[in-house]
Amino acid sequence: MGLLTNILLAPFLGPVWGTRWTLEKVDRVVKEELTDDTPVKEELMELQLKLEMGEIDDAEYTRRETELMQRLREVRDWREKLGMSTSGGPVRVAESDETE
Amino acid sequence: MSDRDNAVEQTEPGDGEGKYVYCIVRNDRSREFGEIGIGGGARVYTVNHNDLAAVVSDTPIVIYDPTRENVLAHEFVNETVMREFTLIPMSFGTVFRSENDVLALLKSTYQAFTDVLDKMQDKIEFGLKILWDRDKVVAAIERENDEIRRLKEEITRNAASSTYFARMQLGRLVEAAMEEASNRYVTDIHEQLKDVSVASRSNKVIGDRMILNAAFLVDRNTEKPFDEKVKEISRQYEDLLTFKYTGPWPPYNFVNIKLKLEKAT
Repeated sequence: MGLLTNILLAPFLGPVWGTRWTLEKVDRVVKEELTDDTPVKEELMELQLKLEMGEIDDAEYTRRETELMQRLREVRDWREKLGMSTSGGPVRVAESDETE
Repeated sequence: MSDRDNAVEQTEPGDGEGKYVYCIVRNDRSREFGEIGIGGGARVYTVNHNDLAAVVSDTPIVIYDPTRENVLAHEFVNETVMREFTLIPMSFGTVFRSENDVLALLKSTYQAFTDVLDKMQDKIEFGLKILWDRDKVVAAIERENDEIRRLKEEITRNAASSTYFARMQLGRLVEAAMEEASNRYVTDIHEQLKDVSVASRSNKVIGDRMILNAAFLVDRNTEKPFDEKVKEISRQYEDLLTFKYTGPWPPYNFVNIKLKLEKAT
């Protein structure tokens, strides 16, 4: 079995392999988007700057801040669901004796 | 519970008092800083270990959202403490379960805190964000750059016949000149502030109008010269740039202690 097999089977294997690869890639991209809070934090900083520069008023700020806080919580939830580290919440000194 | 608006319940509610930590200072006596803490004016006081003190307030075990209100409360406590002490700021939202956990932090990180406090003695931070007005900068570039001016005049004169290519070329030239101008302004401003500051750090710019987002570490003794220099520079550039100058802050951008913390369950 060589080249011919590949060619013969290509219509069946090709698309399947292709689809799975695409799904995995989509899955990865979605996961990254769901668990990355950097864009939300950047938006928050931009929003704050706009408030400080007088480009938006308090009401507008509060409205959009509420949305961003909701998104931050969603990211935190996803990170927890996927077993990733999260910031916030109670901490304590790590019990390890490794040196820096 | 009034904290619900600003904080997320992390685990079972009503499960005792945690400690929100704002900063670490050197002080061998306990101190009170008033009812200015996060979550609606909690009492701010110190937890002491030898000559180190953690500035804390009592808190339910919650995750604090970085809302403006919460962040300002955190910063206000640090500003208050800073009037009297050199401090190491903690990250926003750092909550320990108990006073004992805070003491464990002070004990285990004693040497690192002490070293950093020595280094940061009488140092303060200023923030400088610089935004430009695109139209004004483009106008300035057209005044100064002969090639761009000529090309633009040519395109305007022959509006009907000027080619797509000529317009593209103009766009590219303007873009390049703007980038060059931005670098020139930023380099010049850094250069002018070098002698009146101890260190500087450039952070990522926010939005599309910002060309500089920097923090400067300044000795308290040179606070006035630094201040005057910033004002002088902003006068030099007042036609082109908007300066957003803040501080004094605790040295948020210049303290980098990796605390070995883990989630307390």
